[in-house]
Amino acid sequence: MGKREAFWLIICGLLILLAYIIPYTILTDVAKWYGSFLLWVLLGFVIILFNIIFTKDWRS
Amino acid sequence: MANHLIWWGFAIYTVLSLFVAYLSRSGKEMTMSGYFLGNRKMNGFVSALSYSATTYSAFMMVGLSGLTYKGGVGALGFEMIYFAGVSLVAFFGPRFWLAGKKYGYVTPSEMLGDRYDNKLVAVVISVSSCIFLIPYSAVQLAGVGYLVEGMTNGGISFTTGVILAMILAIVFSFIAGIRSVMWTDSLQALLMIIASTTVVILVIQGLGGFGEFFGNLEKNHSESLTVPGNGFWSITTFLSMTIPWVFFSLSNPQVSQRLFMPSSPKSLRGMLMGFLVFGFIYTLVSVLWGFSALSIFPGLDNPDIATPSLLASKFVPPVLGIIVMVAIIAAAISTIDSILLTLGSLFARDVYGNLKQNVDEKRQLAIGKIIMPIIAILAFVFAEMQLNLIGVLSVASSAGLTVAIPAIIGCFFWKKGTPAGVISSVIVGGALVLILEFTKYKPLGLGSGIWGLIISGILFITISLITKPPTQKAEEFMGYIKREMKTQFTK
Repeated sequence: MGKREAFWLIICGLLILLAYIIPYTILTDVAKWYGSFLLWVLLGFVIILFNIIFTKDWRS
Repeated sequence: MANHLIWWGFAIYTVLSLFVAYLSRSGKEMTMSGYFLGNRKMNGFVSALSYSATTYSAFMMVGLSGLTYKGGVGALGFEMIYFAGVSLVAFFGPRFWLAGKKYGYVTPSEMLGDRYDNKLVAVVISVSSCIFLIPYSAVQLAGVGYLVEGMTNGGISFTTGVILAMILAIVFSFIAGIRSVMWTDSLQALLMIIASTTVVILVIQGLGGFGEFFGNLEKNHSESLTVPGNGFWSITTFLSMTIPWVFFSLSNPQVSQRLFMPSSPKSLRGMLMGFLVFGFIYTLVSVLWGFSALSIFPGLDNPDIATPSLLASKFVPPVLGIIVMVAIIAAAISTIDSILLTLGSLFARDVYGNLKQNVDEKRQLAIGKIIMPIIAILAFVFAEMQLNLIGVLSVASSAGLTVAIPAIIGCFFWKKGTPAGVISSVIVGGALVLILEFTKYKPLGLGSGIWGLIISGILFITISLITKPPTQKAEEFMGYIKREMKTQFTK
Protein backbone atom coordinates (compact mmCIF):
# COMPACT_ATOMS: atom_id res chain seq x y z
CA MET A 1 0.00 0.00 0.00
CA GLY A 2 1.41 3.33 -1.09
CA LYS A 3 1.58 6.48 1.06
CA ARG A 4 -1.33 8.06 -0.79
CA GLU A 5 -3.55 5.04 -0.15
CA ALA A 6 -2.53 4.86 3.50
CA PHE A 7 -3.35 8.56 3.94
CA TRP A 8 -6.83 8.15 2.45
CA LEU A 9 -7.46 4.98 4.44
CA ILE A 10 -6.74 6.85 7.67
CA ILE A 11 -9.01 9.74 6.64
CA CYS A 12 -11.78 7.30 5.82
CA GLY A 13 -11.30 5.45 9.12
CA LEU A 14 -11.45 8.73 11.05
CA LEU A 15 -14.67 9.75 9.30
CA ILE A 16 -16.29 6.44 10.23
CA LEU A 17 -15.07 6.77 13.81
CA LEU A 18 -16.62 10.25 14.08
CA ALA A 19 -19.87 8.87 12.68
CA TYR A 20 -19.96 6.55 15.71
CA ILE A 21 -18.83 9.02 18.36
CA ILE A 22 -20.62 12.32 17.61
CA PRO A 23 -24.25 11.04 17.50
CA TYR A 24 -23.80 9.21 20.81
CA THR A 25 -22.17 12.19 22.56
CA ILE A 26 -22.66 15.74 21.27
CA LEU A 27 -25.89 15.05 19.38
CA THR A 28 -27.54 12.60 21.77
CA ASP A 29 -30.00 15.28 23.00
CA VAL A 30 -30.44 17.16 19.72
CA ALA A 31 -33.86 15.89 18.62
CA LYS A 32 -33.90 17.95 15.42
CA TRP A 33 -33.41 17.23 11.75
CA TYR A 34 -30.07 19.00 11.95
CA GLY A 35 -28.89 16.56 14.64
CA SER A 36 -27.77 13.01 13.96
CA PHE A 37 -29.92 12.86 10.81
CA LEU A 38 -27.97 15.64 9.11
CA LEU A 39 -24.63 14.35 10.39
CA TRP A 40 -25.12 10.91 8.85
CA VAL A 41 -26.43 12.39 5.60
CA LEU A 42 -23.30 14.54 5.44
CA LEU A 43 -21.16 11.47 6.12
CA GLY A 44 -22.66 9.78 3.05
CA PHE A 45 -22.07 12.88 0.96
CA VAL A 46 -18.44 13.23 2.06
CA ILE A 47 -17.85 9.53 1.36
CA ILE A 48 -19.01 10.03 -2.23
CA LEU A 49 -16.63 12.99 -2.67
CA PHE A 50 -13.84 10.99 -1.07
CA ASN A 51 -14.29 8.15 -3.56
CA ILE A 52 -14.48 10.50 -6.54
CA ILE A 53 -11.12 11.99 -5.61
CA PHE A 54 -9.51 8.70 -4.61
CA THR A 55 -10.37 6.89 -7.86
CA LYS A 56 -9.78 9.78 -10.27
CA ASP A 57 -6.83 8.06 -11.99
CA TRP A 58 -8.64 4.83 -12.86
CA ARG A 59 -8.77 4.97 -16.62
CA SER A 60 -9.55 2.47 -19.36
CA MET B 1 -55.22 -3.07 -2.30
CA ALA B 2 -57.07 -5.18 -4.85
CA ASN B 3 -55.46 -8.55 -5.45
CA HIS B 4 -56.06 -8.58 -9.17
CA LEU B 5 -54.09 -5.32 -9.57
CA ILE B 6 -51.17 -6.89 -7.75
CA TRP B 7 -51.30 -9.95 -9.97
CA TRP B 8 -51.31 -7.69 -13.02
CA GLY B 9 -48.33 -5.73 -11.74
CA PHE B 10 -46.46 -8.92 -11.07
CA ALA B 11 -47.29 -10.34 -14.50
CA ILE B 12 -46.08 -7.21 -16.33
CA TYR B 13 -42.88 -7.18 -14.32
CA THR B 14 -42.28 -10.86 -15.08
CA VAL B 15 -42.80 -10.45 -18.83
CA LEU B 16 -40.57 -7.35 -18.98
CA SER B 17 -37.80 -9.02 -17.01
CA LEU B 18 -37.93 -12.19 -19.06
CA PHE B 19 -37.68 -10.08 -22.21
CA VAL B 20 -34.62 -8.23 -20.88
CA ALA B 21 -33.07 -11.51 -19.73
CA TYR B 22 -33.65 -13.00 -23.17
CA LEU B 23 -32.02 -9.99 -24.89
CA SER B 24 -28.99 -10.24 -22.62
CA ARG B 25 -27.95 -13.61 -24.03
CA SER B 26 -24.79 -13.64 -26.12
CA GLY B 27 -24.44 -17.14 -27.48
CA LYS B 28 -24.15 -20.23 -25.35
CA GLU B 29 -21.70 -19.77 -22.51
CA MET B 30 -19.57 -22.88 -22.07
CA THR B 31 -16.96 -21.54 -19.64
CA MET B 32 -17.15 -20.73 -15.96
CA SER B 33 -15.91 -17.16 -16.45
CA GLY B 34 -18.35 -16.68 -19.34
CA TYR B 35 -21.37 -17.87 -17.38
CA PHE B 36 -20.51 -16.52 -13.94
CA LEU B 37 -18.44 -13.40 -14.77
CA GLY B 38 -19.74 -12.28 -18.18
CA ASN B 39 -16.22 -12.95 -19.55
CA ARG B 40 -14.92 -10.04 -17.40
CA LYS B 41 -16.31 -7.60 -19.94
CA MET B 42 -19.08 -5.84 -18.06
CA ASN B 43 -19.38 -2.06 -18.48
CA GLY B 44 -19.54 0.38 -15.59
CA PHE B 45 -23.18 1.43 -15.89
CA VAL B 46 -24.74 -2.03 -15.88
CA SER B 47 -22.25 -3.16 -13.24
CA ALA B 48 -23.24 -0.24 -11.02
CA LEU B 49 -26.96 -0.84 -11.28
CA SER B 50 -26.56 -4.56 -10.80
CA TYR B 51 -24.19 -4.11 -7.86
CA SER B 52 -26.82 -1.83 -6.31
CA ALA B 53 -29.69 -4.23 -6.96
CA THR B 54 -27.69 -7.12 -5.50
CA THR B 55 -26.64 -5.22 -2.40
CA TYR B 56 -29.92 -3.45 -1.75
CA SER B 57 -32.56 -6.00 -1.29
CA ALA B 58 -35.95 -6.31 0.31
CA PHE B 59 -34.01 -5.56 3.46
CA MET B 60 -33.85 -1.84 2.66
CA MET B 61 -37.49 -1.16 1.88
CA VAL B 62 -38.92 -3.52 4.43
CA GLY B 63 -36.20 -4.09 7.03
CA LEU B 64 -34.45 -0.70 7.14
CA SER B 65 -37.75 1.19 7.08
CA GLY B 66 -38.87 -1.16 9.85
CA LEU B 67 -35.75 -0.44 11.87
CA THR B 68 -36.31 3.31 11.43
CA TYR B 69 -39.91 2.86 12.51
CA LYS B 70 -38.86 0.87 15.55
CA GLY B 71 -35.74 2.69 16.70
CA GLY B 72 -35.48 5.98 14.81
CA VAL B 73 -32.54 7.70 13.16
CA GLY B 74 -30.00 5.10 14.32
CA ALA B 75 -31.15 3.10 11.29
CA LEU B 76 -29.76 5.85 9.07
CA GLY B 77 -26.45 5.75 10.93
CA PHE B 78 -26.33 1.98 10.60
CA GLU B 79 -26.82 2.13 6.85
CA MET B 80 -24.54 5.13 6.29
CA ILE B 81 -21.73 3.42 8.15
CA TYR B 82 -22.18 0.41 5.88
CA PHE B 83 -22.16 2.88 2.98
CA ALA B 84 -18.88 4.39 4.18
CA GLY B 85 -17.51 0.85 4.38
CA VAL B 86 -18.06 0.46 0.63
CA SER B 87 -15.01 2.72 0.30
CA LEU B 88 -13.11 -0.52 0.92
CA VAL B 89 -13.88 -1.24 -2.74
CA ALA B 90 -11.66 1.71 -3.63
CA PHE B 91 -8.78 -0.03 -1.85
CA PHE B 92 -9.47 -3.69 -2.53
CA GLY B 93 -11.40 -3.47 -5.80
CA PRO B 94 -8.37 -2.85 -8.02
CA ARG B 95 -6.49 -5.65 -6.27
CA PHE B 96 -9.30 -8.19 -6.76
CA TRP B 97 -9.64 -7.06 -10.36
CA LEU B 98 -5.93 -7.35 -11.15
CA ALA B 99 -5.62 -10.75 -9.51
CA GLY B 100 -8.74 -12.06 -11.26
CA LYS B 101 -7.50 -10.92 -14.62
CA LYS B 102 -4.04 -12.42 -14.28
CA TYR B 103 -4.87 -15.72 -12.62
CA GLY B 104 -8.34 -16.29 -14.08
CA TYR B 105 -10.16 -16.53 -10.75
CA VAL B 106 -13.91 -17.07 -10.96
CA THR B 107 -14.66 -16.84 -7.23
CA PRO B 108 -13.14 -14.92 -4.31
CA SER B 109 -12.54 -18.18 -2.45
CA GLU B 110 -10.64 -19.58 -5.44
CA MET B 111 -8.40 -16.52 -5.17
CA LEU B 112 -7.78 -17.14 -1.48
CA GLY B 113 -7.09 -20.84 -2.10
CA ASP B 114 -4.53 -20.01 -4.76
CA ARG B 115 -2.89 -17.16 -2.87
CA TYR B 116 -2.49 -19.24 0.28
CA ASP B 117 -1.45 -22.14 -1.95
CA ASN B 118 -3.90 -24.58 -0.38
CA LYS B 119 -7.08 -26.02 -1.88
CA LEU B 120 -8.65 -26.64 1.52
CA VAL B 121 -8.68 -22.87 2.09
CA ALA B 122 -11.00 -22.46 -0.91
CA VAL B 123 -13.19 -25.36 0.24
CA VAL B 124 -13.57 -24.09 3.80
CA ILE B 125 -14.37 -20.50 2.78
CA SER B 126 -16.88 -21.67 0.18
CA VAL B 127 -18.69 -23.94 2.60
CA SER B 128 -18.79 -21.20 5.20
CA SER B 129 -20.24 -18.79 2.60
CA CYS B 130 -23.00 -21.30 1.82
CA ILE B 131 -23.83 -21.77 5.50
CA PHE B 132 -24.34 -18.06 6.00
CA LEU B 133 -25.71 -16.95 2.66
CA ILE B 134 -28.57 -19.42 2.47
CA PRO B 135 -30.26 -17.85 5.54
CA TYR B 136 -29.57 -14.45 3.99
CA SER B 137 -31.43 -15.48 0.84
CA ALA B 138 -34.19 -16.80 3.05
CA VAL B 139 -34.46 -13.36 4.62
CA GLN B 140 -35.02 -11.89 1.16
CA LEU B 141 -37.68 -14.44 0.32
CA ALA B 142 -39.41 -13.82 3.62
CA GLY B 143 -39.34 -10.09 2.77
CA VAL B 144 -41.41 -10.81 -0.32
CA GLY B 145 -43.79 -12.96 1.68
CA TYR B 146 -44.40 -10.28 4.31
CA LEU B 147 -44.89 -7.65 1.68
CA VAL B 148 -47.50 -9.36 -0.46
CA GLU B 149 -49.34 -10.67 2.57
CA GLY B 150 -49.30 -7.23 4.24
CA MET B 151 -50.41 -5.34 1.17
CA THR B 152 -53.26 -7.67 0.32
CA ASN B 153 -54.38 -8.12 3.95
CA GLY B 154 -53.69 -11.82 3.58
CA GLY B 155 -55.39 -12.10 0.16
CA ILE B 156 -52.14 -13.42 -1.30
CA SER B 157 -50.42 -15.63 1.23
CA PHE B 158 -46.87 -15.40 2.55
CA THR B 159 -46.07 -18.76 0.97
CA THR B 160 -47.36 -17.77 -2.49
CA GLY B 161 -45.12 -14.68 -2.46
CA VAL B 162 -42.13 -16.72 -1.36
CA ILE B 163 -42.64 -19.41 -4.01
CA LEU B 164 -43.05 -16.86 -6.84
CA ALA B 165 -39.88 -15.03 -5.83
CA MET B 166 -37.95 -18.27 -5.65
CA ILE B 167 -39.05 -19.44 -9.10
CA LEU B 168 -38.20 -16.11 -10.75
CA ALA B 169 -34.78 -16.03 -9.08
CA ILE B 170 -34.02 -19.46 -10.49
CA VAL B 171 -35.25 -18.53 -13.98
CA PHE B 172 -33.26 -15.26 -14.13
CA SER B 173 -30.06 -16.99 -13.14
CA PHE B 174 -30.60 -19.78 -15.64
CA ILE B 175 -31.36 -17.84 -18.83
CA ALA B 176 -27.86 -16.45 -19.38
CA GLY B 177 -26.04 -16.72 -16.05
CA ILE B 178 -24.60 -13.46 -14.80
CA ARG B 179 -25.55 -11.60 -17.98
CA SER B 180 -29.27 -12.13 -17.51
CA VAL B 181 -28.92 -11.44 -13.80
CA MET B 182 -27.08 -8.17 -14.39
CA TRP B 183 -29.49 -6.91 -17.01
CA THR B 184 -32.62 -7.81 -15.05
CA ASP B 185 -30.92 -6.32 -11.98
CA SER B 186 -30.43 -3.08 -13.88
CA LEU B 187 -34.06 -2.92 -14.87
CA GLN B 188 -35.05 -3.62 -11.28
CA ALA B 189 -32.66 -1.02 -9.86
CA LEU B 190 -34.02 1.72 -12.09
CA LEU B 191 -37.60 0.79 -11.31
CA MET B 192 -36.82 0.68 -7.63
CA ILE B 193 -35.09 4.06 -7.35
CA ILE B 194 -37.61 5.98 -9.44
CA ALA B 195 -40.72 4.49 -7.84
CA SER B 196 -39.52 4.65 -4.25
CA THR B 197 -38.27 8.22 -4.56
CA THR B 198 -41.61 9.28 -6.01
CA VAL B 199 -43.43 7.72 -3.06
CA VAL B 200 -41.31 9.55 -0.52
CA ILE B 201 -41.81 12.87 -2.27
CA LEU B 202 -45.57 12.31 -2.40
CA VAL B 203 -45.83 11.23 1.22
CA ILE B 204 -43.71 14.08 2.55
CA GLN B 205 -45.74 16.54 0.51
CA GLY B 206 -48.94 14.91 1.77
CA LEU B 207 -47.71 15.39 5.33
CA GLY B 208 -47.19 19.13 4.73
CA GLY B 209 -43.65 19.30 3.28
CA PHE B 210 -40.18 18.77 4.69
CA GLY B 211 -40.50 21.35 7.49
CA GLU B 212 -43.77 20.03 8.82
CA PHE B 213 -42.63 16.42 8.34
CA PHE B 214 -39.68 16.89 10.68
CA GLY B 215 -41.66 19.30 12.86
CA ASN B 216 -44.15 16.53 13.53
CA LEU B 217 -41.37 14.07 14.33
CA GLU B 218 -39.69 16.58 16.65
CA LYS B 219 -42.99 17.22 18.44
CA ASN B 220 -44.53 13.75 18.66
CA HIS B 221 -41.60 11.33 18.25
CA SER B 222 -38.58 13.35 19.37
CA GLU B 223 -36.79 10.21 20.56
CA SER B 224 -36.76 8.99 16.94
CA LEU B 225 -34.32 11.73 15.96
CA THR B 226 -31.57 10.82 18.41
CA VAL B 227 -29.56 7.78 19.42
CA PRO B 228 -29.96 5.77 21.58
CA GLY B 229 -33.44 7.37 21.32
CA ASN B 230 -36.08 5.03 22.68
CA GLY B 231 -33.31 2.62 23.65
CA PHE B 232 -33.39 0.35 20.61
CA TRP B 233 -30.12 1.73 19.24
CA SER B 234 -28.00 1.30 22.35
CA ILE B 235 -24.34 1.77 21.54
CA THR B 236 -23.70 -1.98 21.84
CA THR B 237 -26.54 -2.82 19.44
CA PHE B 238 -25.32 -0.14 17.06
CA LEU B 239 -21.77 -1.51 17.12
CA SER B 240 -22.97 -5.11 16.80
CA MET B 241 -25.06 -4.33 13.76
CA THR B 242 -22.74 -1.93 11.97
CA ILE B 243 -19.35 -3.59 12.26
CA PRO B 244 -20.18 -6.71 10.19
CA TRP B 245 -21.77 -4.42 7.59
CA VAL B 246 -18.73 -2.16 7.28
CA PHE B 247 -16.98 -5.15 5.73
CA PHE B 248 -19.97 -6.32 3.66
CA SER B 249 -18.43 -5.30 0.31
CA LEU B 250 -15.49 -7.64 0.93
CA SER B 251 -16.96 -10.39 3.05
CA ASN B 252 -20.02 -11.16 0.92
CA PRO B 253 -18.94 -13.15 -2.14
CA GLN B 254 -22.01 -12.18 -4.20
CA VAL B 255 -20.68 -8.62 -4.23
CA SER B 256 -16.92 -9.20 -3.99
CA GLN B 257 -17.16 -11.54 -6.99
CA ARG B 258 -18.40 -8.48 -8.91
CA LEU B 259 -14.94 -6.99 -8.55
CA PHE B 260 -13.69 -9.53 -11.10
CA MET B 261 -16.24 -8.53 -13.75
CA PRO B 262 -15.64 -4.94 -14.99
CA SER B 263 -13.85 -4.64 -18.31
CA SER B 264 -11.35 -1.96 -17.24
CA PRO B 265 -10.29 0.22 -14.27
CA LYS B 266 -12.63 2.85 -15.69
CA SER B 267 -15.57 0.40 -15.58
CA LEU B 268 -14.60 -0.57 -12.04
CA ARG B 269 -14.71 3.10 -11.09
CA GLY B 270 -18.06 3.47 -12.86
CA MET B 271 -19.40 0.55 -10.84
CA LEU B 272 -18.22 2.01 -7.53
CA MET B 273 -19.36 5.59 -8.16
CA GLY B 274 -22.67 4.56 -9.70
CA PHE B 275 -23.37 2.38 -6.71
CA LEU B 276 -22.50 5.14 -4.24
CA VAL B 277 -24.87 7.64 -5.84
CA PHE B 278 -27.62 5.03 -6.03
CA GLY B 279 -27.01 3.85 -2.47
CA PHE B 280 -27.03 7.36 -1.03
CA ILE B 281 -30.43 8.16 -2.53
CA TYR B 282 -31.87 4.77 -1.73
CA THR B 283 -30.73 4.87 1.90
CA LEU B 284 -32.30 8.28 2.44
CA VAL B 285 -35.50 7.15 0.77
CA SER B 286 -35.79 4.00 2.90
CA VAL B 287 -35.20 5.89 6.15
CA LEU B 288 -37.62 8.71 5.27
CA TRP B 289 -40.08 5.99 4.41
CA GLY B 290 -39.75 4.54 7.93
CA PHE B 291 -40.18 8.02 9.46
CA SER B 292 -43.27 8.59 7.31
CA ALA B 293 -44.83 5.37 8.56
CA LEU B 294 -44.05 6.43 12.13
CA SER B 295 -45.86 9.74 11.59
CA ILE B 296 -48.90 8.19 9.94
CA PHE B 297 -49.26 4.86 11.80
CA PRO B 298 -47.53 5.23 15.16
CA GLY B 299 -48.95 2.10 16.80
CA LEU B 300 -48.04 -0.87 14.57
CA ASP B 301 -47.19 -4.08 16.43
CA ASN B 302 -44.77 -5.42 13.82
CA PRO B 303 -42.32 -2.87 12.37
CA ASP B 304 -41.90 -5.03 9.27
CA ILE B 305 -45.36 -4.03 8.12
CA ALA B 306 -44.52 -0.30 8.25
CA THR B 307 -43.77 -0.32 4.52
CA PRO B 308 -46.83 -2.27 3.37
CA SER B 309 -49.02 -0.01 5.52
CA LEU B 310 -47.49 3.08 3.97
CA LEU B 311 -47.99 1.77 0.45
CA ALA B 312 -51.61 1.00 1.17
CA SER B 313 -52.20 4.50 2.65
CA LYS B 314 -54.13 7.37 1.09
CA PHE B 315 -50.91 9.24 0.27
CA VAL B 316 -49.83 6.73 -2.37
CA PRO B 317 -51.90 6.33 -5.56
CA PRO B 318 -52.80 2.62 -5.97
CA VAL B 319 -50.91 2.23 -9.26
CA LEU B 320 -47.75 3.66 -7.72
CA GLY B 321 -48.27 1.42 -4.70
CA ILE B 322 -48.34 -1.60 -7.00
CA ILE B 323 -45.24 -0.44 -8.89
CA VAL B 324 -43.32 -0.02 -5.65
CA MET B 325 -44.49 -3.35 -4.34
CA VAL B 326 -43.33 -5.03 -7.51
CA ALA B 327 -40.06 -3.07 -7.27
CA ILE B 328 -39.48 -4.39 -3.76
CA ILE B 329 -40.21 -7.95 -4.83
CA ALA B 330 -37.80 -7.37 -7.71
CA ALA B 331 -35.21 -6.12 -5.23
CA ALA B 332 -35.44 -9.33 -3.27
CA ILE B 333 -35.23 -11.44 -6.41
CA SER B 334 -32.23 -9.51 -7.73
CA THR B 335 -30.38 -10.25 -4.52
CA ILE B 336 -31.35 -13.90 -4.45
CA ASP B 337 -30.46 -14.67 -8.07
CA SER B 338 -27.00 -13.15 -7.60
CA ILE B 339 -26.48 -15.20 -4.47
CA LEU B 340 -27.63 -18.34 -6.30
CA LEU B 341 -25.11 -17.72 -9.07
CA THR B 342 -22.30 -16.99 -6.63
CA LEU B 343 -23.01 -20.03 -4.49
CA GLY B 344 -23.37 -22.18 -7.62
CA SER B 345 -19.94 -21.04 -8.79
CA LEU B 346 -18.40 -21.45 -5.33
CA PHE B 347 -19.67 -24.97 -5.00
CA ALA B 348 -18.75 -26.05 -8.53
CA ARG B 349 -15.34 -24.40 -8.65
CA ASP B 350 -14.08 -24.56 -5.10
CA VAL B 351 -15.82 -27.48 -3.43
CA TYR B 352 -16.51 -29.95 -6.24
CA GLY B 353 -13.58 -28.82 -8.41
CA ASN B 354 -11.11 -29.20 -5.56
CA LEU B 355 -12.38 -32.34 -3.90
CA LYS B 356 -12.74 -34.31 -7.13
CA GLN B 357 -9.83 -34.95 -9.47
CA ASN B 358 -9.65 -33.70 -13.08
CA VAL B 359 -12.93 -31.81 -13.30
CA ASP B 360 -13.07 -29.76 -16.50
CA GLU B 361 -14.83 -26.40 -16.99
CA LYS B 362 -17.84 -27.93 -18.70
CA ARG B 363 -18.44 -30.33 -15.83
CA GLN B 364 -18.00 -27.55 -13.27
CA LEU B 365 -20.56 -25.44 -15.10
CA ALA B 366 -23.04 -28.32 -15.18
CA ILE B 367 -22.59 -28.86 -11.43
CA GLY B 368 -23.06 -25.14 -10.79
CA LYS B 369 -26.35 -25.19 -12.65
CA ILE B 370 -27.60 -28.21 -10.70
CA ILE B 371 -26.70 -26.72 -7.35
CA MET B 372 -28.49 -23.39 -7.89
CA PRO B 373 -32.09 -24.66 -7.62
CA ILE B 374 -31.11 -26.87 -4.69
CA ILE B 375 -29.86 -23.82 -2.81
CA ALA B 376 -33.03 -21.92 -3.72
CA ILE B 377 -35.17 -24.66 -2.20
CA LEU B 378 -33.11 -24.66 0.99
CA ALA B 379 -33.64 -20.88 1.24
CA PHE B 380 -37.35 -21.46 0.74
CA VAL B 381 -37.45 -23.84 3.70
CA PHE B 382 -35.75 -21.25 5.91
CA ALA B 383 -38.13 -18.55 4.71
CA GLU B 384 -41.14 -20.67 5.58
CA MET B 385 -39.89 -20.85 9.15
CA GLN B 386 -40.84 -17.12 9.37
CA LEU B 387 -38.18 -15.99 11.80
CA ASN B 388 -38.42 -12.61 13.54
CA LEU B 389 -37.43 -9.14 12.47
CA ILE B 390 -35.92 -9.23 9.01
CA GLY B 391 -33.13 -6.74 9.62
CA VAL B 392 -31.74 -8.54 12.63
CA LEU B 393 -31.51 -11.89 10.88
CA SER B 394 -29.93 -10.30 7.86
CA VAL B 395 -27.22 -8.87 10.07
CA ALA B 396 -26.65 -12.28 11.67
CA SER B 397 -25.85 -13.71 8.23
CA SER B 398 -23.34 -11.01 7.47
CA ALA B 399 -21.78 -11.55 10.92
CA GLY B 400 -20.90 -15.07 9.86
CA LEU B 401 -19.22 -13.95 6.66
CA THR B 402 -17.15 -11.32 8.46
CA VAL B 403 -14.84 -14.01 9.85
CA ALA B 404 -13.11 -14.27 6.44
CA ILE B 405 -12.02 -10.61 6.60
CA PRO B 406 -8.60 -11.22 8.25
CA ALA B 407 -7.82 -13.80 5.53
CA ILE B 408 -8.91 -11.41 2.76
CA ILE B 409 -6.82 -8.53 4.13
CA GLY B 410 -3.88 -10.91 4.64
CA CYS B 411 -4.19 -12.13 1.06
CA PHE B 412 -3.09 -8.73 -0.25
CA PHE B 413 -1.10 -7.24 2.60
CA TRP B 414 0.55 -9.89 4.79
CA LYS B 415 3.09 -12.29 3.38
CA LYS B 416 3.24 -14.31 6.58
CA GLY B 417 -0.42 -15.43 6.43
CA THR B 418 -0.70 -19.22 6.23
CA PRO B 419 -3.37 -21.74 5.16
CA ALA B 420 -3.60 -23.04 8.74
CA GLY B 421 -4.19 -19.46 9.89
CA VAL B 422 -7.00 -18.98 7.39
CA ILE B 423 -8.69 -22.32 7.99
CA SER B 424 -8.61 -22.07 11.78
CA SER B 425 -9.81 -18.46 11.75
CA VAL B 426 -12.75 -19.16 9.45
CA ILE B 427 -13.84 -22.42 11.12
CA VAL B 428 -13.50 -21.32 14.75
CA GLY B 429 -14.75 -17.78 14.05
CA GLY B 430 -17.72 -19.11 12.07
CA ALA B 431 -18.56 -21.70 14.73
CA LEU B 432 -18.44 -19.01 17.41
CA VAL B 433 -20.89 -16.85 15.45
CA LEU B 434 -23.26 -19.79 15.07
CA ILE B 435 -23.07 -20.68 18.77
CA LEU B 436 -23.68 -17.07 19.85
CA GLU B 437 -26.59 -16.72 17.43
CA PHE B 438 -28.25 -19.94 18.53
CA THR B 439 -27.82 -19.32 22.26
CA LYS B 440 -28.61 -15.58 21.86
CA TYR B 441 -25.68 -14.94 24.19
CA LYS B 442 -24.02 -11.53 23.85
CA PRO B 443 -20.83 -11.26 25.93
CA LEU B 444 -20.46 -7.64 27.15
CA GLY B 445 -23.63 -6.87 25.19
CA LEU B 446 -21.79 -7.17 21.87
CA GLY B 447 -23.14 -9.27 19.01
CA SER B 448 -21.74 -12.35 17.31
CA GLY B 449 -20.15 -10.48 14.39
CA ILE B 450 -17.80 -8.50 16.59
CA TRP B 451 -16.68 -11.56 18.56
CA GLY B 452 -16.34 -13.58 15.37
CA LEU B 453 -14.14 -10.90 13.84
CA ILE B 454 -11.96 -10.51 16.96
CA ILE B 455 -11.44 -14.26 17.40
CA SER B 456 -10.79 -14.90 13.71
CA GLY B 457 -8.31 -12.00 13.61
CA ILE B 458 -6.41 -13.31 16.64
CA LEU B 459 -6.37 -16.87 15.29
CA PHE B 460 -5.31 -15.83 11.79
CA ILE B 461 -2.33 -13.90 13.15
CA THR B 462 -1.17 -16.29 15.87
CA ILE B 463 -1.59 -19.53 13.91
CA SER B 464 0.08 -17.94 10.90
CA LEU B 465 3.06 -16.90 13.00
CA ILE B 466 3.69 -20.47 14.14
CA THR B 467 3.12 -22.19 10.78
CA LYS B 468 4.94 -21.98 7.47
CA PRO B 469 3.67 -19.42 4.94
CA PRO B 470 3.62 -20.06 1.17
CA THR B 471 6.41 -17.50 0.74
CA GLN B 472 7.06 -18.01 -2.95
CA LYS B 473 3.41 -17.67 -3.96
CA ALA B 474 2.88 -14.74 -1.60
CA GLU B 475 5.82 -12.83 -3.06
CA GLU B 476 4.85 -13.53 -6.62
CA PHE B 477 1.17 -12.59 -6.04
CA MET B 478 1.79 -9.49 -3.96
CA GLY B 479 4.68 -8.36 -6.16
CA TYR B 480 2.47 -8.53 -9.23
CA ILE B 481 -0.33 -6.56 -7.57
CA LYS B 482 2.09 -3.91 -6.33
CA ARG B 483 3.61 -3.39 -9.78
CA GLU B 484 0.28 -3.27 -11.57
CA MET B 485 -1.31 -0.94 -9.03
CA LYS B 486 1.38 1.58 -9.92
CA THR B 487 0.91 1.30 -13.67
CA GLN B 488 -2.87 0.82 -13.97
CA PHE B 489 -4.40 2.62 -11.01
CA THR B 490 -2.18 5.67 -10.50
CA LYS B 491 -1.22 8.49 -12.79
